[in-house]
Amino acid sequence: MIDATGVTCRYGRSGSGGSDADDGGGLVAVDDVTLSVPDGEFLIVAGANGSGKTTLVRTFNGLVEPDAGTVSVNGAPVSDDLVAARTAVGMVFQDPRDQLVAATVGADVAFGPENLGCSHAEIDRRVADALAAVNMAGREDERIASLSGGERERVAIAGALAMEPDHLVLDEPFTGLDEPARRSVLDRLRALRAAGTSVIVVTHDLRDVLGLADRVVGLSAGRVAVDAAPREAAEKLPGLDVRVPAAFDDRPADAPAAGETDDP
Amino acid sequence: MTLSYVPGDSLAHRLDPRSKLLVQVGFAAAAYAYTTPRGLAALTFLAVACLWLAGGGPRDLWTYRAAFPVLLVAPLVAGATLGAPWFRVERAATTGLASYRVLLILVVAAGYVRSTPVRDSRAAVQRAVPGKPGQFLGTGVALVFRFLPLLKRDLLTAREAVRSRGGGTLPVRERMRLVAVAGINRAFGRADRLGTALNARCFAWNPTLPRLAFGPADYPALAVGAGLLAAAVAMTIV
Repeated sequence: MIDATGVTCRYGRSGSGGSDADDGGGLVAVDDVTLSVPDGEFLIVAGANGSGKTTLVRTFNGLVEPDAGTVSVNGAPVSDDLVAARTAVGMVFQDPRDQLVAATVGADVAFGPENLGCSHAEIDRRVADALAAVNMAGREDERIASLSGGERERVAIAGALAMEPDHLVLDEPFTGLDEPARRSVLDRLRALRAAGTSVIVVTHDLRDVLGLADRVVGLSAGRVAVDAAPREAAEKLPGLDVRVPAAFDDRPADAPAAGETDDP
Repeated sequence: MTLSYVPGDSLAHRLDPRSKLLVQVGFAAAAYAYTTPRGLAALTFLAVACLWLAGGGPRDLWTYRAAFPVLLVAPLVAGATLGAPWFRVERAATTGLASYRVLLILVVAAGYVRSTPVRDSRAAVQRAVPGKPGQFLGTGVALVFRFLPLLKRDLLTAREAVRSRGGGTLPVRERMRLVAVAGINRAFGRADRLGTALNARCFAWNPTLPRLAFGPADYPALAVGAGLLAAAVAMTIV
């Protein structure tokens, strides 16, 4: 369970004095957000560019420290034990190239478990399991540089899964992917959902993932503007400059995507 | 192309990184001890063999192209004089041999880099240098190998961005300024993102290091490395 209470994050605290500056100085990226993410939930955090989505989810594992409010994971404040928080909340960045730190697939996926001090047998098991979960089993020795964008995204997901997190956060996982790669990542998300992994997807485009979600939180100017079930959210989110499916029909989570539209 | 680890099953890939490090150290020492053309000829053979045993070839040396002008110009600068006779061949020859030694060491290093995963290098360093100094050195080696290819790619991207908008027609100095400024900005951004990625994945100073074990092929390599080192020491003493 992730609990965020009254979380506020500011950037540029020296402040340029712009209209977005509050009394504390600086641009407010996240403004007094309170949110709980139960175990096993598939949550979408939606919003336009600059709405505070990424900043908010980065507080979940301590990559961003809130200027006000608290975040706890499994009952423990994130700031008390960053390693525990980062183990419990896996993060897949928007651009996998920012996340992949090794030359080969296997070495990169093993990077997290190595840092956790796991035994060699445990590292081998986690790498094998994580790569199998993203449909890349047996590709440990392939060079990262030779992978396609979709494959890199899947390796980035495997790297996070190898930490065996309770929650997996994916920041704009479909950015820059072509249709086959999008379908491949969607298939992995469906599999994770079916396996009971808690998944948090950050996106401004819900056309692919709305059918998988249990709940949607919409952010606007750093505040929670929508917190609803997918059907209700689909009606409200277009007002936040978020793309939603043209016809949301509560289809089963493992069903293929229905008709979509570019219209907001 | 950036010189980096290339998965493979060459002889060098099968060697323990500690053996390869000893060969490198021994080779560098020998290269600085044996400065005669005959000695350098023998070391040339050994350097080419090291790269070949790692599955590499001339293409790997292309990654050092930025160093070639310096290595080539150095003898000319060393030989030049401000007055008659304007150029001293013996000085140029001495510096030329020094440049050549550097090139040979780069060749051996290329064989090491393409045959050794970064985390194995880190493990070798941390086992060779115990305690916190070893952790510090090992982490430094790992970060350099991870960061430099990214930095180089960013510089190339900056150069392509300048060219794609007609910057190719600008004077060289202006192009260098644009690429340098963009490159430095990207380097700082890249460093921030790499730091965030390492944090997100629980970067540790003392992680579980990969298994390292000497195999049958390591003993000849260790003998070569130790022999080179001993020969260099003997030559220095004599």
